[in-house]
Amino acid sequence: MKIFWILVQYEWRHFRAAKGLVVLTGLVLLVGLYGIYYGTTEINRQRQHLAELPTLARHNVEELKAKFPEPEDAGNIGYYHTTFAVHHPLPWASLSLGQRDVNPSYVKLRLLGLQGQLYAAENVNPTKMLSGNFDLAFVLVYLFPLLIIALCFNLLSSEREQGILPLLLAQPVSAGVVVGAKLTFRLGLVLGLAWLLSAVAMGWAQVPLDARVGLWLALVTLYCLFWFGVALVVTAWQRPSAFNAVAMVGLWLLLLVLVPGLLNVYVAAKRPVPQGIELTVKQREEIHGGWDKPKAETMNRFFALYPQWRDTTTIKERFVWRWYYAFQHLGDQSVQPLAAAYTSGLRQRYELVEQLNWLSPAVNVQTSLNALAGSDLPTHLAFQQSVVRYHDALRAYYYPFLFNKTPFTHADYAGEPIHTFTSTSETPTAVQGLWKLLISTIVVGSIGWWLLRARPVALR
Amino acid sequence: MIQSIAQKEFVSTLRDRRFVVLSVLLLALLLAATLVGRASYRTLQQERMVAQQTVNDQFHHQPNRHPHRVAHYGSFAFRPRSGLSFLDAGLDSFTGASVYLEAHQQNSVNFSQAQQSGSLIRFGELTVAFVLQVLVPLLIIFLCFSAFTEEHETGTLKLLVSQGVPLRRVAWGKIAGYGRAVVLVVGPALALAAWLLFGEETFVHNADVWVRLALFVVSYAVYFFLWIVGAVVVSARQRHGRSALVLLLGCWMLGCIILPKATANLGATLFPTVTKAQMDADVHEAAQKGINGHDPQDQRTAALKANLLKQYGVDSEEKLPVSVGGLAMAESEAYTSKVYQQHFADLTGTYERQNAISNWVGLLNPYQAIRPLSMGLAGSDFAHYVHFQQAAEDYRYQLVQRLNGLQASMGYGDKERKLDAATWQAIPTFAYQAPPVGWALGYLLLPALALLLWAVGLSWLGLKVIDKTPVV
Repeated sequence: MKIFWILVQYEWRHFRAAKGLVVLTGLVLLVGLYGIYYGTTEINRQRQHLAELPTLARHNVEELKAKFPEPEDAGNIGYYHTTFAVHHPLPWASLSLGQRDVNPSYVKLRLLGLQGQLYAAENVNPTKMLSGNFDLAFVLVYLFPLLIIALCFNLLSSEREQGILPLLLAQPVSAGVVVGAKLTFRLGLVLGLAWLLSAVAMGWAQVPLDARVGLWLALVTLYCLFWFGVALVVTAWQRPSAFNAVAMVGLWLLLLVLVPGLLNVYVAAKRPVPQGIELTVKQREEIHGGWDKPKAETMNRFFALYPQWRDTTTIKERFVWRWYYAFQHLGDQSVQPLAAAYTSGLRQRYELVEQLNWLSPAVNVQTSLNALAGSDLPTHLAFQQSVVRYHDALRAYYYPFLFNKTPFTHADYAGEPIHTFTSTSETPTAVQGLWKLLISTIVVGSIGWWLLRARPVALR
Repeated sequence: MIQSIAQKEFVSTLRDRRFVVLSVLLLALLLAATLVGRASYRTLQQERMVAQQTVNDQFHHQPNRHPHRVAHYGSFAFRPRSGLSFLDAGLDSFTGASVYLEAHQQNSVNFSQAQQSGSLIRFGELTVAFVLQVLVPLLIIFLCFSAFTEEHETGTLKLLVSQGVPLRRVAWGKIAGYGRAVVLVVGPALALAAWLLFGEETFVHNADVWVRLALFVVSYAVYFFLWIVGAVVVSARQRHGRSALVLLLGCWMLGCIILPKATANLGATLFPTVTKAQMDADVHEAAQKGINGHDPQDQRTAALKANLLKQYGVDSEEKLPVSVGGLAMAESEAYTSKVYQQHFADLTGTYERQNAISNWVGLLNPYQAIRPLSMGLAGSDFAHYVHFQQAAEDYRYQLVQRLNGLQASMGYGDKERKLDAATWQAIPTFAYQAPPVGWALGYLLLPALALLLWAVGLSWLGLKVIDKTPVV
C-alpha cells in the first residue's frame, strides 16, 4: 500500500513537471468556469426577459383603459388584450441549458384561437443555435473525456517507450499496482476538477441543496469513471502511445459524434413527426371558414360543447363577438387530433431516444442532466399543456361577459386569470440514466481490469 | 524528386492498415451522409412543395369574400430547401419551415427541426459538411502527424538530407502524397453528390448549382490542403510522434469544437437580442403613431376622409367613388410595414453583428472560415435565410395592398358587400426564387479570404520554418 502512495506522489511530481498537462488542465478549468458563467448569465437573461413581461402586459391594460374609458364589450377587450404564459427555469437550468434556447420560454396570448399562437418562435439567431450552448453540461459531457484521454493515452506506453518500464517493474511492484496508482492520481485530478466546477456552478446558480445535488455528482462521477474504464481497456491493450491516442479519440468520436448523429437520423426516420404545417394550415381554414358559414350552424356546434351558454336568441347582426369567439374555438377543436398527434409524435421520439441512449453514455448523461435541470422536451411539452389550460381558463373568464352581454369594466382586468409555470426536475428519468450509466461503467471497467490481469505486461 | 516522395508516401499510406480502416469508415460515413441528406432533402422539399401548392389552391378557391377578410385569411410562405443543402444543411434545421403571411403583422418563421429533435441534434448533425469539416481533418491528423517524426526516429531523414534533398522538397513531396490519399477518400463521395445532382432533372440545365458545387469542392480542397500543410509542419517541428499528435489534436479540439461555440455565445452576449414580446410592443407603440386602419374614430382617418372629399369635390362619404375604409387600411399597412421593416432590419443587424464575430475569428481559425463558406455556397446560411424572409415579406405587403386596393375600389358601404370568388384566382401566389451564386459570393468574401490567407501563409511560413529545422 505504501508503494502505491509513493507512486501516486511520484505521478503528482511528474504532472507538475509536465507543463503541457498543467496548461491543459488549467485550460479545462477556465473553459469550465466560462461554461458556468455562460449558463448562469443565459438563464438570468431569460429570467430578466420573463420579468419584463408583466410590465408589457400592464402597458397593454393601461392602453386599453385609455382606449375604452367606459365599460366595454368584452369582445373588444379579448381581441386587443394580450397576456403571457411564462415558463420559469429551475436554477439547475443554468448548469444544463438543454433545449431552452430552441423552445421559447413564454407564449403571448390573446383570446383568439390557441393553435395559431402556441407555436410562435422567439427571436433567436439561428447561427448561434447551430453552434449550440457552452454550458457546464457541455464541458463535462464533451470536453472532460478529451481531458481524460490526454491524461491517459500514454499511461504505460510512455514508460515503455522511454525504457523506464523494465526498471520500474524490476522493483517489487506489480503492473496492476503501477496502473492503479497512475489511474488513481489522474482520477483524483479529474474528479476534483469536475466536483470543483459542479460546486462552483451550484453555488453560482444557487441551486437548492437536496437529493438532486447527489444525483448530479453521481452522474458526473460515473461518467468520468466510464472514460477511465475506456482508458484502462486501451492501456491493457499495450500498444504504442500514438495508437492509444488514435483509439481513444476514435472512441470519443464514436460515442459523441457518430452514435448521436446516426441515432438522430434513425429516430427521425422511425418516428416521423408532421412538420406542424398541416396543423396551422387546417386551423386557418377552419377559423376563416367560420366567417362564411351560417351563424346558426356555428353556434349550434359551439353550444354542443358548451351547453351552459346556450341562448335562445338567433344572431341577426352582421357581427357579434360571441359568434366570433365561438368559431375561433371551433377552429382549435377541429385541429385537436392533429395537435395531439404532433405532441405525441415528439414525445415518442424522445422516448425512443431514451430507450436507445445506452448506446452512448454521452447521450445518456446529456439527456439525464437535461432531465434533472428540467430543460428538455417533456418539460416543454408540460409547459405547452399548461398554456392550453391557461387558455381554457381565459375563455372561461370571458365567456360569461360575452354570452350574458355583461360590459367589461376596468375592475375586471384584475380578475383575469394569471399563468405561471416553473419547470420540475424529471428525477425518475435522471435516476434511470444513472442506472444505465452504472452498468456501462461496470462493463467497461471490468473488461479493462480483466484484460490487464489476463495479459502479461510487455516491457518493450 | 517531389514526385517520387509523393508516390512513396501515397503507396505507404495505402499499405498502412490503420489508415485503410479509417478511410473506409470515413468514406462509408460520407456516402451515408450524402444519401441520408439527399433523402431528408427530398422529403422536406416534397412536403413543403405540397404544402405551398395546397395553400395556393386554397387561396385561389376561396368563396365570395370581402377583400379585408381575405387579407386576414392571408397565405403561407414555405421555405424551399436549396439544391445543395443536402451537402450542408447549415442553418436549415434551426430556422423554421413556414411563415404565416397576413394583414397588419409580420409573423415569425415557425416549426424548426431542432425543436423536434430533442437534445440529440446538439451533438451535431451527420451531414456531408460535418464529415468534411470536422472528421476529415482528424483523418489528416492521424495520417500526417508522423510525417517527419517517424523519419526522425528511424533516422531516414538524415539519409535523405545527406543526399542533397532540401527539407522543403521533402515536405512538398509529403504534402502532395497525403493530398492524393485524402482525394482518394473524399473524391468518391463528392462524385456521388455530383451524380445525384446530375440525376435530378431540375438541375440539369442549371449552371448556378454547378458553379456552387465547383466552388464548394475548391473551398474544401483549400481547407484540406491547409490542414495537411499544418500537420506536416507540426510534425517537422516536434521530436516525437506522440507530442505532434497531442498538439495537433489540441488544435483540432480548439478550432473545431471550443472556439466556434465560444465565439457564437460571445457574440450573443455582446450584442443582446430584443425579445419577440418587446419587439411586438415596440412595433405596436410606433404603429400607433400611424393611421389606425381599424378605428374609424381616429382623427387621422378623419383627416384622410376630409382630404378625399375635397379631392373628389363631393360633400359626403356616400358620394365618394372609393371606400375610405380601404384607403385607410392601405395607409395603415404602409405605415406599419415600414415600422416592422425597421425593427426587423434592426434585429437582423443584431444577428449580423453577432455572426460577424464568428466570421472574423475565421482569420484565426480555418474551421470558422470554411463553415460560412460551405453554408453560403450550399444556400443554407443566414444571408439566404434573410433573403427568403424578405421575399416573403415583399409578397405579403403586395398581397395585402392589392386587397386593400380592391376594397378601396368597392366604394362606400364596402363592408356589407363581398367580391366574387373569381377575384382571388387573378391574384398571383407566392413563388420563391433563390438568389444566384453571384449574390451569395458577396457575403462570402471574408471567409474566402481568410481561407486563402491561411493556405498561403501556412505554406510560406511553415515551409520556411521547416527549411530552418536542424536535422540531427
